[in-house]
Amino acid sequence: MSHERLLVVEDEAHLSEVISDNLRLEGWRVDVVADGATALEAIRASRPDLVLLDVMLPRMDGFAVCDALRKEGNDVPILFLTARASSDDRVRGLALGGDDYLSKPFELKELILRVRAILRRTEWFRSPSPAGETLTLGKASVDFRTNRAQVGERNYELSPKETMILRCLAERPGEVVSRAEILDRVWGYDAFPTSRTVDNFIVRLRRILEADPREPRYIHTVRGSGYRLTP
Amino acid sequence: MKSLHRPLQVYIVIVVLYAALMGWWVTFLTNEGTWLVRDMQRAGAALTAEQAATLELVTARTGKMFLAESTFLGLLMLGSVWLVLRALRRETLLAQQQRNFLSAVTHELRSPIASAKLYIESLQLGRVEPAKTERYLRHAHEDLQRLAHIVEDMLVSRRLQDARVEVRPEVLELRSLLEPQLERLRERHGPRGARIELLAGEAVTALADASSIDTIVDNLVSNGVKYGGEHAHVELILRAAGDRAVLQVRDHGKGLAGADRRRIFEAFVRGGDESVRTQQGVGLGLYIVRELVAAQGGRITAEDAPGGGAVFEVSLPLARHEGAARSEDNAATNGDGAR
Repeated sequence: MSHERLLVVEDEAHLSEVISDNLRLEGWRVDVVADGATALEAIRASRPDLVLLDVMLPRMDGFAVCDALRKEGNDVPILFLTARASSDDRVRGLALGGDDYLSKPFELKELILRVRAILRRTEWFRSPSPAGETLTLGKASVDFRTNRAQVGERNYELSPKETMILRCLAERPGEVVSRAEILDRVWGYDAFPTSRTVDNFIVRLRRILEADPREPRYIHTVRGSGYRLTP
Repeated sequence: MKSLHRPLQVYIVIVVLYAALMGWWVTFLTNEGTWLVRDMQRAGAALTAEQAATLELVTARTGKMFLAESTFLGLLMLGSVWLVLRALRRETLLAQQQRNFLSAVTHELRSPIASAKLYIESLQLGRVEPAKTERYLRHAHEDLQRLAHIVEDMLVSRRLQDARVEVRPEVLELRSLLEPQLERLRERHGPRGARIELLAGEAVTALADASSIDTIVDNLVSNGVKYGGEHAHVELILRAAGDRAVLQVRDHGKGLAGADRRRIFEAFVRGGDESVRTQQGVGLGLYIVRELVAAQGGRITAEDAPGGGAVFEVSLPLARHEGAARSEDNAATNGDGAR
């Protein structure tokens, strides 16, 4: 039995009942709240392992809850469950820092698979890395536990996604890691539609870690296949 | 709305430029006389007293004329700006209403579909303890009923908009009509702690359409339960007043809370922002009620009740023995009028 704790934020009583019953059946511990403001308080008081967050909620909508959490540096995984299904809403949810997005009505099996996928990703991320807890690239050193990078005298705050990408590469030094693999391990199977996203993150990582981002010494692009880290 | 921003900016720039041009033009013309006199004096030409007086008179007169013209044009321009802004505000409100409507309908249709689907899938996959099976089936059934209700409301309001609803008023004793219906409503809302009471004295015989009354009472009582807070208490008060049968439906919730008394009866109007919605519904219930009341020659009002809560008052023509025929005529004309 796993002991992950999930928080279901849903104001429709029937939906929250049937969703939480099914998640409990999978062995997770499940709490339920029915409005955005209470959800925010509950998450601040005790961080769950995953939040299943409805968008249209009384008192404070789901996007606002997600935004507030991310702004205060809380990176609790969030799966949006919503009746709004336009691609604008989907993009907005993910841009605000949601981890995945599921539109109602959805299949029970799909819900469970997605919850499992997010939990697996965060568990991989929280468990000690086989590559060690720190990565040293010349003058730069990155701490995987605190998401911080130190380059000479300067300190940088990395986002969890940036740290995860670095970990992906660091766990297989000298090998090519494909964009698809990075997408799968960091974002989940289809949360983000494009592998361009990975490229954008790599650009920022190079700016922090490389002495000359245009002539990278550590993070190499392997044309047509992916990225390679050479410490 | 974004598509309107650019033309509006261009319009404002044109108005400002035009106003500046007009200001310059007025100043130029009103000062022209003065400059002319000054130039002549500089050139050493002396004006006779008579010439000077005439010049002053002419200058003053043209000055006044220009001022009047420019004031008139200026007011015209301000008027046009006001008209444009008003149209824009209406457009914004309409767009907001449309977004609210789409948002509400999407949410109202997808939520019960989602939960009914999950209840049934759980049962199909054998993921439900036997003790919960009955509850799951009941909840899935309620979801489908909620869906059916929304679809029905949308179809009825569509028909009302096209004036295709048939209303056949007949002589009805309202109290005996209401009692069995309230029993059904108690069965529906009772399990959630709602109390529904009928306070009626003597028999009230009105000229009304039975199935419309059914819909009206259903919607008003459900509305009262919905907005009546926890353990809602909804009272129906039936009496005769003058030549009207009056039915009041009162709840003990938060009242109308400043909501526009006429707008709440419009189709798809729901209070507040849909993304932080607190109540189910698409905003058709009260619209349907108002239209059905009107089709029977009746009137409806909404007020804050003394002591808290909201009270909806429906009045219908009373079917008196001596006045029955006359009322019937009235009702028929009103009915036609609504169509």
